[in-house]
Order: sequence, then C-alpha cells, then structure tokens
Amino acid sequence: MMTTDALIRSLAADLRPVPRNAVGLRVAAGLAMGGLVTTMLIGAWLGFRPNFSLVLHSQSFWMKWAYAASLSAVAIAATIQLARPEPIRVRGLWLLGLPIVLLALVGLIELARLPSDQWLAMWLGRSWKQCPWVVLRLAIPIFIGLLWAYRRLAPTRLRAAGAAAGLAAGASAATLYCLHCPETSALFVLTWYSLGIAMMTAIGALLGPRLLRW
Amino acid sequence: MRASEDQLRAWMIGGLKGDAGAHAALLTALVPMLHAFYRRRVRDAAEDVEDLVQETLIAIHTRRGTYDPERPFAVWLFAIARYKMIDHFRRRRQSCSIDDVADILVVEGFEDASIARMDVARLLHTLPPKQADAIRDTRLDGLSISEAASSARIGESDVKVSVHRGLKALTARVRGQA
Repeated sequence: MMTTDALIRSLAADLRPVPRNAVGLRVAAGLAMGGLVTTMLIGAWLGFRPNFSLVLHSQSFWMKWAYAASLSAVAIAATIQLARPEPIRVRGLWLLGLPIVLLALVGLIELARLPSDQWLAMWLGRSWKQCPWVVLRLAIPIFIGLLWAYRRLAPTRLRAAGAAAGLAAGASAATLYCLHCPETSALFVLTWYSLGIAMMTAIGALLGPRLLRW
Repeated sequence: MRASEDQLRAWMIGGLKGDAGAHAALLTALVPMLHAFYRRRVRDAAEDVEDLVQETLIAIHTRRGTYDPERPFAVWLFAIARYKMIDHFRRRRQSCSIDDVADILVVEGFEDASIARMDVARLLHTLPPKQADAIRDTRLDGLSISEAASSARIGESDVKVSVHRGLKALTARVRGQA
C-alpha cells in the first residue's frame, strides 16, 4: 500500500482548477453527448419528419415538446441536486405535476370534442405499441451519458439519483422523439410517452445502487 | 492542533482554483480528522481504517467539484466520509447504525458548521438528566448502547428510548428557536 503522504503528493501533483459550477457543466456534458447519440439514432433509424417547417407550426408538436421538455427540466434539476453528497432534500419535484395536469386538461377537452366511439382510436393512435419502447430505447444513450456524468460527482442517495437520471433521460429522449413522432393527441402523449419515461425511471431506480457506487 | 472550519474551507477553495499547495495542505490536515472519525466508528483492524482514509482522500480529490463554496465544508466532508463508511460496511455485509451528518458534525466538533449554531452542552442541560446522560454517552463520548446502559445502571432499551426522546425534544427546541 502507498503511504498516505505519497498519495497526497500524487493527488496534489496533477491538480487542475475546477470551474465554479462544475456539477452543472458535467451533467450538461453528459446530457449533450447522450442527446447527440439519440438524435443520430432518430435520424438513422426512424427518420425525421419530412415536412419539418410545417411541423413547427403545428400545435400538437409544441404540446408534445412542451410536455416532455418541462418534465426533462425538472428531472435534470433533481439530477443536479442529487449529485452533491450533502443531505439536501430534493426540492421542486412537485413541479412534475404541472405538465401532467395541464396535458390531462387538454386531453379532457379533446374527449369533449370527439364522439365517444372515436375515443379509443385517438387514445391508441397509430403507434401506441411502439411508442413507449421507442422512448425507452432512445433514452438509453442519455442515461449512459448521465451515468458518465455521475462518475465524477458524489451522489449518496443512489436509488434516488438513479431514478432522477432515468427520468431525465426518458423525458429528454421523448423531447427529441417529437422530431419523428406523427401522433397529435394529448391523451396519446400523456399515456404512451409517459409510460416510456416511467419505464426508464424505474430502470434507473433499480440500477442506481449498483451502477452509481463509488 | 486541528484546523478550523474556516481554514479547511479556505484551503479547499484554494485547491478548487488550482493551488496545489493549498490542496496538499487540506488533504494533509484531513488525515488525522478522518482517522479519528473512522476509529470511533469502524471497529476493524488498523489497516482497514488506513484504507478507508486513503479511499476517502481519493474521493475528496476526484469529486472536489461537488463542493459548493457557499456551504459549510465540514458538512460536505463528513457526508463523503459517512458514505465511504456505509460502503465499507456494505462490502463487509455488516450492519450497523449510522448517524446523520448533523449528528456527526456534533461528535466531530463541527457543530458550528451546521446550520443551527447551538451550544450542545447548554441544550442538553434543558433535558431531564437521564436523557441528557444517554445522549452525551452514546452520541458525544462514543460509548456503545450497552456500555452506556451499564454505566448508568439502566436497561439498554431504556438508554435507546432516552436517546430517542431526548433527541426528539432537542429537535423540537431547535426548530422552535430557529
């Protein structure tokens, strides 16, 4: 075994300055790398929507995007909070309820506008069987990026940190999946997007204690 | 002499800015503190304690970016030391009770670093003597439950209940004053 004095000398020898918001930068780098891979996967595997300028003017695109992006923002904030070792209680998780409630309200309006024999078709859309699994698969590169970020960070609540990283990965993947997904119904998004995101969150909570140990 | 919170924090911030001298001074000052921390809680061979101290120094170095200079250094330090200890027990498949960081700060003499700057002795004085003794023995002097029970000539469950009730009363009092 190395003596403690020698260890300290070797640790101090290669000392590099650390930027002030190192935790945020590290998480952002992990997200960006994972997000890049996910975007390339969408391009190569699913294809982007062809008429993209038209898509950007559609309400349904922005509804899906705002839902997934706001979940992702809250989850990223939780991921950053859980990256510090201090016994901080994670704040702001209740904000996750806002996009869910808002989207549910839009869904109720949709239901009110359609005759009830079309409800099922709207809810299932054309891709309900694939959607959750696609979101889950697209989330994996981002989840790996966040695991990489945590390697230099100090989470002490590993299950919670894993769940937060899974939620952030799932919601960010769903945000990017909007670039492909042709569905337009709020209830579709509320159910099948959320199911994919929830699966990634559960996997994160399951794997956190094993993968995040340091 | 043990370095103060302010001194440790100043070295830590220096290290974060890239000052290798400050970083080495910090790590060197932490060695005896970590030794004391683990010796008090890990009843293993001396080599194991030495291993834990080195592992903790490496973790402090590698993960130094997670320290927020706005917050007390001791809280961050002992949160890492506590995590490393839990990991150590997990690998050994031992179970043991582990204090909260807030309790650790009191035992290690860093109560000023915690948010409530309370005089522990004065606070304990406000409790019934049995509860105060039980807390002082088990939480401050590091006695085990059975040692505390035999020194106070009461049952072990009595000690546990006294500690629990006493801490609860103290928590209520601290919250009331905050």
